[in-house]
Amino acid sequence: MPSNEGWLDRFVDGLPSNPLFMFLARRVLVPYWAWRTPVTPQPGGPRVSIQPGDNVQCMMNLIMPLKDKSPIGRANAAMAISQYKDEIYAGLDNVGTVHFARFVIVDDNICMFSVYDGDFTNYIRDFITTIGSVFNAVVELVEEGEAVIPCEQNVEAFIEWVHARDMYQVPDLATDILKDQKGDKAGSSPDDLRKLPREVVLQLRANPNVSLGGGYRAYPGYSAAQVRQKFGVGW
Amino acid sequence: MSTAFDHADVQGNILRGYRQRRVRHLVLEIADRTAARRWLAATVSDNGDGVPQITREGRERWTTKPDTCFNIGLTFEGLAKLGTPSISLDMFPKEFVEGMNASAIKLGDVGSSAPENWPAPFNEPKRIHLVASIYASEIAQLDRVQHQALGDGKALKLLGACDGWISRDNHVHFGYRDNIAQPRFAEIHGPEDHADGQPRAPLGTVLLGYPTNFEGLTWRVPERVGHNGSFNAFRVLAQDVAGFEAYLTETATYLLTHPDVDELLPPGAEANIGEGLSRHAALREVVAAKMCGRWRSGAPLALSPDKPTHNVTANNFDYVGEDASRCPYGAHIRRSNPRGGQIVQRVANHSRRLVRRGMPYGPDYDPTRPDTKERGLLGNFLGANISAQFEAMTYDWINLGLQDPRVTGSNDPLLGANDPATSWFDLPLKSGTTIRLRGLPRFVTTRGGAYTFLPSLSAIRFLGALQN
Repeated sequence: MPSNEGWLDRFVDGLPSNPLFMFLARRVLVPYWAWRTPVTPQPGGPRVSIQPGDNVQCMMNLIMPLKDKSPIGRANAAMAISQYKDEIYAGLDNVGTVHFARFVIVDDNICMFSVYDGDFTNYIRDFITTIGSVFNAVVELVEEGEAVIPCEQNVEAFIEWVHARDMYQVPDLATDILKDQKGDKAGSSPDDLRKLPREVVLQLRANPNVSLGGGYRAYPGYSAAQVRQKFGVGW
Repeated sequence: MSTAFDHADVQGNILRGYRQRRVRHLVLEIADRTAARRWLAATVSDNGDGVPQITREGRERWTTKPDTCFNIGLTFEGLAKLGTPSISLDMFPKEFVEGMNASAIKLGDVGSSAPENWPAPFNEPKRIHLVASIYASEIAQLDRVQHQALGDGKALKLLGACDGWISRDNHVHFGYRDNIAQPRFAEIHGPEDHADGQPRAPLGTVLLGYPTNFEGLTWRVPERVGHNGSFNAFRVLAQDVAGFEAYLTETATYLLTHPDVDELLPPGAEANIGEGLSRHAALREVVAAKMCGRWRSGAPLALSPDKPTHNVTANNFDYVGEDASRCPYGAHIRRSNPRGGQIVQRVANHSRRLVRRGMPYGPDYDPTRPDTKERGLLGNFLGANISAQFEAMTYDWINLGLQDPRVTGSNDPLLGANDPATSWFDLPLKSGTTIRLRGLPRFVTTRGGAYTFLPSLSAIRFLGALQN
């Protein structure tokens, strides 16, 4: 089939591999876009769903930047978690809807990655109810943590604080990113698919840490209690 | 705490019900900020200048019930429109600020229940500023108070009105006796009053500024306007009575030939269910009772598993260690309040309790002449924290069924966002087996609603005196 590409098409197609253009894009074009059309950072967590299976085994990827960005700061965080490990695990046990939870230090962030069932706010609220006083010791090591401790007396603020630090979960269907950006302005303007690449760039500028899609699952969604019941280990 | 509690600062429809026969909820928009503030000030002025006076709580309930009662709730838009200082507005919780429409998926308001399908005045939620509720026994009294409340129309514009009424003693359209179980408060009820097998609820269950059911945990109290206030999820819930009765008929027919049916209803036990009932008709009532957790008479299955006893308001029971062949794990009243029974969320047994103030709307349903006119329930679901109580109960328990692995993945048989293609409801039997019912349609459709805040009397005075 004969190509009917003109020189302009070939030039535009070649831009992403042109080092000069990419330099300008990173340093000039993206900041300019971001200034022209501000994109708000998206809160974290999965989309709310009432489909059975979609509302269990939800992921929380909580990234909390440490105040002290040094080996001493990281050591303090590691010590806080190890000191209160038993209390934290007992709290997670009492919540009843948590499958797994892990604490990880990445760069200068203390992270809590967990898989839970049902509503995010219920998870965090029930967790804080049982071990709030212990978790305060972790939160006070984190940037802007002092605004929400003691967390058991700042429940609403603490839940929003966690929500804001939970990783934005980029939709499996990339076009859904446009819906997320519209938020409560849904239906305000039709989606313009030509803008999608730009919108993705801007969103990832606003949310540097993201989780990509819903993730892989080897089996359909079951609640933690369903799994425990099937294995006969009590729930 | 009870000694410091000022009963008269709390609106009268929160801690106990009025037991009036009729209600009218006026859905209102603030037409003019200054006039609306004057109107609010007048509702608590004790002389009124012709404006209805807010009915308040008292240490003792009145000896003679007033002819009419009057209460108000404000939406976040209403508080903002009144010019409530931002220091107070910023302290309201997110779900209240964003409003009921924003929580649609959490509440199961999808498909035919989605806010996009709500009729006026609920199709324009941002215009709803205030919901004023009038309680009385006669329509003429409702009309009179409405006329007084609207006055010259300068302060408030009427967007719509919802009338509810009780035709039979506390029965709702699906034929159940309702309004039996409510949280009891130490400040109102003696330890033995209406004993219900549950601890008396701390005031913080429903009022801001008091200890909650969560030990050591307190909710944020918006400055100047929060204390002694309560949040309300106001819901207009249409009930498909013809669909419900048809489902009972269809299910009874299916059960008649089910191999385990004799365990559900031993042959000859039909007379326990009702005089002269056929086996089919008795099975209809058994299914209705299993779905709700109470017989239509009001008698709870936990106390009376085999027959609808005459002690219809019996409420002193628990599910601790109870065999589910009495009350199914998935039954409506067990899902919405598991009492002390085993649940997955171990800290949540009593923490999601709500005060329910509902009244049916629409014409009575006549089973001899089935029709599909709109009828249902005007529900008020009160609590100190919408997210921790109303939304938590609806999202995790009514739908999804996360509280018990044996019901997880199913929705409430009466109230749930059911789809006949996937819905199921288990009837546990004494032998340990279950009969699984399928194909439950959605019987209750949301037709409107709003999250409102029911301010204290002193908060109403504060709002009425704003000058900015």
